[in-house]
Amino acid sequence: MSTKGAPLKGLLLVVLLVSHMLLTKEGVTSLPICPSGSVSCQLSLEELFDRAVKLSHYIHFLSSEMFNEFDERYAQGRGFIAKAVNSCHTASLTTPEDKEQAQQIHHEDLLNLILGVLRSWNDPLIHLASEVQRIKEAPETILSKAVEIEEQNKRLQEGMEKIVGRVHSGEVGNDIYTPWDGLPSLQLADEDSRLFAFYNLLHCLRRDSHKIDNYLKVLKCRLIHDNNC
Amino acid sequence: MKQRFISSAQIILQFALTTVGLTGQSYPGKPQIIRCRSLEKETFSCWWKPGSDGGHPNNYTLFYSKDSEEKIYECPDYLTSGPNSCYFDKNHTNPWTTYIITVMATNEIGSNSSDPQHVDVTSIVQPDAPVNLSLETNTSANMSYLWAKWSPPLLADASSNSHEYHYELRLKPEEKEEWETVSVGVQTHYEVSSLQAGVKYIVQVRCMLDLGEWSEWSSEKSIQIPKERLPPEKPTIIKCRSPEKETFTCWWKPASDGGLSTNHTLLYSKEGEEKVYECPDYKTAGPNSCYFDKKHTSFWTIYNITVRATNEMGSNVSDPHYVDVTYIVQPDPPVNITLELKKSIKRKPYLVLTWSPPPLADVRSGWLTLEYELRLKPEEGEEWETIFVGQQTQCKMFSLNPGKRYIVQIHCKPDHHGLWSEWSPEMYIEIPTDFKVKDMVVWIIVGVLSSLICLIMSWIMILKGYRMMAFILPPVPGPKIKGIDTHLLETGKSEELLSALGCHGFPPTSDCEELLIEYLEVEDSEDQQLMPNHDTPSKNTKIVLKETDSDSGRGSCDSPSLLPVKCREPRGLPSALQTQDVRAKEKKGEKGSWEAQCMASEQKTLPCNNESTKSCTWLAAQLPSTQPAMFAYHSTVEAFKMTLNTTNVNTSPVLVGNEENHQSLYPIAETVYDDVEKVGENSKTDQTTVQVRQNQHNDKSPFLNPKLMDYVEVHKVRQDEEPTLLLKHKENNGKTKKCTVSGTNKEYTKVSTVVDHHILVLLPDQRTQNTPVSQEPVAETSQNPQQSQAEKNTSYSMTTPSDSRRDTSGSDYMDPSSFMPSFK
Repeated sequence: MSTKGAPLKGLLLVVLLVSHMLLTKEGVTSLPICPSGSVSCQLSLEELFDRAVKLSHYIHFLSSEMFNEFDERYAQGRGFIAKAVNSCHTASLTTPEDKEQAQQIHHEDLLNLILGVLRSWNDPLIHLASEVQRIKEAPETILSKAVEIEEQNKRLQEGMEKIVGRVHSGEVGNDIYTPWDGLPSLQLADEDSRLFAFYNLLHCLRRDSHKIDNYLKVLKCRLIHDNNC
Repeated sequence: MKQRFISSAQIILQFALTTVGLTGQSYPGKPQIIRCRSLEKETFSCWWKPGSDGGHPNNYTLFYSKDSEEKIYECPDYLTSGPNSCYFDKNHTNPWTTYIITVMATNEIGSNSSDPQHVDVTSIVQPDAPVNLSLETNTSANMSYLWAKWSPPLLADASSNSHEYHYELRLKPEEKEEWETVSVGVQTHYEVSSLQAGVKYIVQVRCMLDLGEWSEWSSEKSIQIPKERLPPEKPTIIKCRSPEKETFTCWWKPASDGGLSTNHTLLYSKEGEEKVYECPDYKTAGPNSCYFDKKHTSFWTIYNITVRATNEMGSNVSDPHYVDVTYIVQPDPPVNITLELKKSIKRKPYLVLTWSPPPLADVRSGWLTLEYELRLKPEEGEEWETIFVGQQTQCKMFSLNPGKRYIVQIHCKPDHHGLWSEWSPEMYIEIPTDFKVKDMVVWIIVGVLSSLICLIMSWIMILKGYRMMAFILPPVPGPKIKGIDTHLLETGKSEELLSALGCHGFPPTSDCEELLIEYLEVEDSEDQQLMPNHDTPSKNTKIVLKETDSDSGRGSCDSPSLLPVKCREPRGLPSALQTQDVRAKEKKGEKGSWEAQCMASEQKTLPCNNESTKSCTWLAAQLPSTQPAMFAYHSTVEAFKMTLNTTNVNTSPVLVGNEENHQSLYPIAETVYDDVEKVGENSKTDQTTVQVRQNQHNDKSPFLNPKLMDYVEVHKVRQDEEPTLLLKHKENNGKTKKCTVSGTNKEYTKVSTVVDHHILVLLPDQRTQNTPVSQEPVAETSQNPQQSQAEKNTSYSMTTPSDSRRDTSGSDYMDPSSFMPSFK
C-alpha cells in the first residue's frame, strides 16, 4: 500500500493499518471509518462487506434466474446435467467445498480466491453477453441478465479489490486466474453442442456466483461479526 | 318262515313286556340300525344304536337273512368294527345279495327288535379317506409347482388292496375360504401349477370306489409356496435433502425384490473424480437411506448417485440421480417461537413474534443464511395470511383483531436455493379485547337510551299531538276580508292581492272573456265535454291559461268540470267560486233541473235578444272570432260601468249572469250565437263601442271585481236558500222583480244585492244573456293571476291566427253553438 506519501499522513496510515491488521488477525472487528485526523474518510470494512454481499447476492440471483430460464427453455430432456459434470473452467481453482474448509481457510486466501474466481469470469461474461444474442429466439430477459451480470461482476471485483487491499497484509495476488477457452464452444455450428456450451457456462456461472456469495457471507460473519451473525 | 315266527313271537313278547313295564321294569327299548357301510365292496359293517335298556343289562343280537334264502343267520363278527357293530367279512359278503338285518336287544324281562334294514352291499360302499398325503413344491423357469402324493385308504383286510379308487384333491391359500377342487382320477399323486408365489396352501384328498360315496376328506396338509426367485427391479431414488447445508441424506424406494432377500447398495461419484464410492452410512438415516456426513459432503459439486439392488438372481441399478448439495438444502422448522403481546403508546396491542433458527443450522458462521416466512390466521379463519420477513428473527404484527385467537406458524428456507422447511407447530395467541369495546358499549347504551326517549316523545306527540301543535303553533286566522283569496296571499302577487282587495289596477277584462268561454264550454258539452276541452292540450293560449288557473285554484275547485269556476277564484272571488262549484255539483247531480234551467234561460234569451240587443250582440261578436272574447269582456266591462255609473239595466243583468252560471250560460250562448247571425251588423257596431269601452274598463275594472264578488256571495245565498233570495228581491227595486219573473230568477236576485251596495238599479230585462257576459270578466280575472295582461294580449293575438275552433276563443264559442240545436 502506498503509505510513503507525506510523512505525517503516511505515518498515521501505517499506524492505522497495523492496528487494523492486528485486530483482524485476532478476529476482532475492525473498522474505524473516519478517525479524527484522518485525511481520507473511507468506508468501513463492514460497509464494504455489506455492499459486496449485496452485490454478490444480486449477481447470484441474476445468474440462477438466467440459468433456470435457459434450462426451462432449451435444456429440457437433453440430459445436459449429466454432461455438465466437471467442466467448469474455474474448477482448477481449489475452493472450499464445505463449511469446514471455508472456515479453515485463511480469510486472505479466501479473499484472493474470490477475486480469482471473479477475474476468471471477466472474459467469459463478456463473451456470454455477446454470444447469447446469437441463440435462436433468445429471450430478452436472458440477454439483459447477461449484460447486467457482466457489469455487476466488474463492480464486485472492484469492491473485492478494495476489501482485499484493506485486509491484506502482503501483496495482492494478481496471479490467481483461470483462463477460459470456451468461446469456440459457444460458437459451435451444431445447435445441440452450442446450447450445451451455454448451458454449461450458465451452470458454472450460477455455481461460482453462489460460491462467491457464500464465501463472502462467511467472511463477513467471520471478519465483521466474529462468527456471530 | 322263521322270520315271521320271530316277528310274531316279538309281538307276543311285547305285549307281555308292556304289561310288565307297567309294574316298574321293562323290556329293552328298540335298537336302531344307524348305518351299514362297505369300505371296499367286499366286506361291510353295520352299526346300531341301543334303545333304552329297561333297567337291565342288555344283550344285542344281530340277525340277518339273505333275500335268496329263508335262513336266518346271526352276526359273524361283533368285534372287528367296534362296539354295537357287526362286521361281515369277505366270506359273509356277497355283493349280489340283499341282506335283511335286524338287531334284537334282550334283557331279563324280554327282548326288542329293531326295524329290519335292507342292505345292498354295492350301494353302501364308502371308502376311508386316503392317507399319507405329502406335498412338495418345485420351481422351474419362474413357475412354482406343487406335488401332492397320497396312499389309498387302509383296509382291515390287508390282503384285499387291489381296489381302484378315484381321487379328488382340493386346495386353497391358507387365508382364503374357498377351496379349489381338482378331479385327480385314479392316480395317487397330482401336480398343481399356477400357484401364487409366497403363499401357503392347504391341500386335502378324498377317494371313491366306482359306485359308492366319496370318502371323507383326508387330513389337511399345508405347504408354503416359495417366492419367485427373480433379480430385483430398479429401485428409485426418492430425494436427497440437506437439513443444514453440511450433511445430506438420500432415500430410495426399493422395487420388488424377486422373492429373495435383496441388498441395496448406494454408489456415488463426485464431479471431477472417476472413482465410485459406496454410501458411507446406511444406518443413521433409517432403512433405505444413505447418510453423507460432513466429510463426505461437498458443495458446488455434482454427485452422481445410483442405488443398486442385488439378490441371488442378479442386480438392478436405479437411474442416476444428480445432486448438487447446494440446491437441496431444506432446513428444519424454526424453534423457540414466542408470541408476546405488547401495547403501543396508543394502548393498541400488537404482537411480537420471535423465533430461533433450527438448531442444526449454523447461521452464525454465515455459511447458511436463512429467510423466514410466517403465516397466521384467526382460529376459525380459512385463509392464512403469509408474511415474508426476510432474515429477521422477529416480527411485529399490528392491526390484529382484538378478541380473536390467532394461529401462528413459521417456516424457513435458505437464501437463493433450497426448499421451505415444514411449518413450525401451531402457536396460539389470543388478542385481548380492547378497551375500545367498553367505549362501544357505552355508546350503544347511549344510543339505545336516546332512541327510547325519541320513541316516548313521538308517542306523546301522537297522543296529544293536536293540542301540542295548537299550543306551539296557534293557527293563523284566515283573512276575513271578503273576496280575499288566501291563495293569493300565499302566492304574494301584489297585483292580484290588490285586485282582490278592490284595487282596480289590474285589467280583469281579458279574464272576463275567458270566463265566458269556459262557461260556454261547460254548457255545451256538459260535464263530459268540458273535461276533454280542458284536458286537451289545446294550442290556444287561453285554454292553457285556464288550465294553469285551474291548477292554482284546485284547492277550492273539486271537480275538473268546474275549471272555469276555478278561474274565477284567483280573481278574488273565492267564496263566490265555491258557491258556484257547489252549484255545478248540484247541476251534475240533477240534470233535469239543470236542463230546466237551461230551457228557462233559452226562453229568457229570446227576450233578452229582443230587449237588450247590446249584450246579445256582444256575445255574438265574441263567438265568431277570437277577438269577440275581448268584446265580450269589454262588454261586461261596459256593463259594470253601466251599473256603476248609470246603473244601466242592461249591464246589471250581465253581472248577475256572471254569477249565475254555466247552466244559463249555455242557452245564453246559443241565443247569442243566433243573435250574432241574425244581428251580425249590429254586433259589429257594438264591438266598436266595446273596444272603446275596454280601455275605460281596464281603468275601472278594479271596481267591478269587488262588485262581482259581492254578487257572487249573494248567489250563494240564493242558491242555497230561495227564501233569502226572495228577501233580497223584496229589497231590490222593481226591476229585480222582473228578474224573478224570468227563468233565471236567482241571478236577478244577485243583481239586486249588487244594487244595494252600489245603488245599482236592476232592470227587469236581466236575462240569461246578460249573465254570460258577466261571466266573461270573471274568466278573464281568473287568467290574470297566472299571466300578466300583456301576456294575455299576446295570447289573444296568438290565438286569432289559428284556424281550429279550439285554438281560438271563438271556436270555443262555436262548439256550444253547434251543440245548441241538439238541445233545442
